[in-house]
Amino acid sequence: MSTKKKYSLFPGCLMPTEQYAYELSVREVLPLLDVELLDVDDFSCCGEPMKSVNQLLTIYLSARNLAIAEKHHHDLFVPCPMCHLALSETKRILDADQSMKERVNVMLSAEGLTYHGKINVVHTVDLLHDHIGLEAIKNKVKTPLSGLKIAAHYGCHLIRPSEIGRPDDSENPQKIEAILKAIGAEPVDYAQKLDCCGAPLLANLPESALTKTGQKLQAVQDQGIQGFVDVCPWCHKMFDSRQTKAGETVAAKLEVPVLYLTQLLGLALGVNSEKLGLDLNLSPVEKLVFKEGK
Amino acid sequence: MGEPQSELRKEINDRLSKLKDEISDYCFQCAKCTSGCEAHKLLELEPHKVVALLKRGLINELVNSDVIWTCMSCFKCRERCPQKVAPVEILFALKNMAVATGKQIPGKYTAMLQSILSTGLIQDTQQVTTKTNKTIKREDIGLPALSKPMDAAKFQAGIMKIAMEKV
Repeated sequence: MSTKKKYSLFPGCLMPTEQYAYELSVREVLPLLDVELLDVDDFSCCGEPMKSVNQLLTIYLSARNLAIAEKHHHDLFVPCPMCHLALSETKRILDADQSMKERVNVMLSAEGLTYHGKINVVHTVDLLHDHIGLEAIKNKVKTPLSGLKIAAHYGCHLIRPSEIGRPDDSENPQKIEAILKAIGAEPVDYAQKLDCCGAPLLANLPESALTKTGQKLQAVQDQGIQGFVDVCPWCHKMFDSRQTKAGETVAAKLEVPVLYLTQLLGLALGVNSEKLGLDLNLSPVEKLVFKEGK
Repeated sequence: MGEPQSELRKEINDRLSKLKDEISDYCFQCAKCTSGCEAHKLLELEPHKVVALLKRGLINELVNSDVIWTCMSCFKCRERCPQKVAPVEILFALKNMAVATGKQIPGKYTAMLQSILSTGLIQDTQQVTTKTNKTIKREDIGLPALSKPMDAAKFQAGIMKIAMEKV
């Protein structure tokens, strides 16, 4: 009996407007793992990028998106950790604070929407690790990525603040490593694992943002790691799309292959690289070589 | 635009007063926040000092300082504070106050807000370049149409209400 898990997809801003490799690989890989994604119209920005400007606006936008998703009854799959944090935090605030919920619902009523708090939000990492499960992933592997030394980057918003409820541990996250093992790769621990990618400074201090990126990638490169996976469109924009520029800030020639976890997973599941959007990665992903499996 | 912002300012002021009176007292200046701060080495943000200044009521000085805009919102300070003080949340409130008092918003925040108003998202779809220098648009690679607010006028009105006047 095949039981498809159904989720509504919340694309956010960055993934569907420029980080196409993430969206392509998500849409390609999840159906292979018996997940069905439903496209929902009417979504907007989650509000997280506006938190420094007006935090109430963040709550309003997140509540609006949750209210739209509720109409479709399925839990919400949110591939971007920034969106995932905004939606999770808003849910937590509104579920605990009745007067705030009423106030937001008055605002939402202008668009005929109501927030009830009936659905949950999941990210790529907990969807793969907890909802689909490591055994199910292992069973679908066609090309184990044997001997490939990979470093995982979780991204700040995915693991903190733990008080809100995040997909993995705030100080020692291990779920991506477990997924890497399930597809035959060799996860590598490194001291800079929890360092920020720099992206939150893009709006007002772009040079400093790139310096953070460069510092982390240089450390990764110096440790002889063969590949680097991330699960956030913002982090990926820094580590992959802007890797060359990031290298300039630390006077280093950076050549770290950076992939979305869903791209690497797709390769292990036998999906061809074009369908995974690998030609959209600007870092040297062609350097990734692994022993052909069975 | 001066008057309509007053309710918003009052609201943020209440938030800051609450942070000052109820939370900053717990801080005993251990500086664990600063030792792990992502913006500390690079941009000299010292979250424990922000809390100390708030505790002394120097809110205007903080609101007018550029240093509040160096926070990367990595949430390590909130995660690690032994007293649950959360400097990152104080910094969000201070930045909100800077915006509400009409101080110039740095960088691209205004452009992002305008884009949300017009398209629902912080930016519209971009052309990207592949490694072999091919130019690709969203629709070229078989991705479905963007999810966007269906009633743009109502969506805009909702945001304007929050960003511009009392709520």
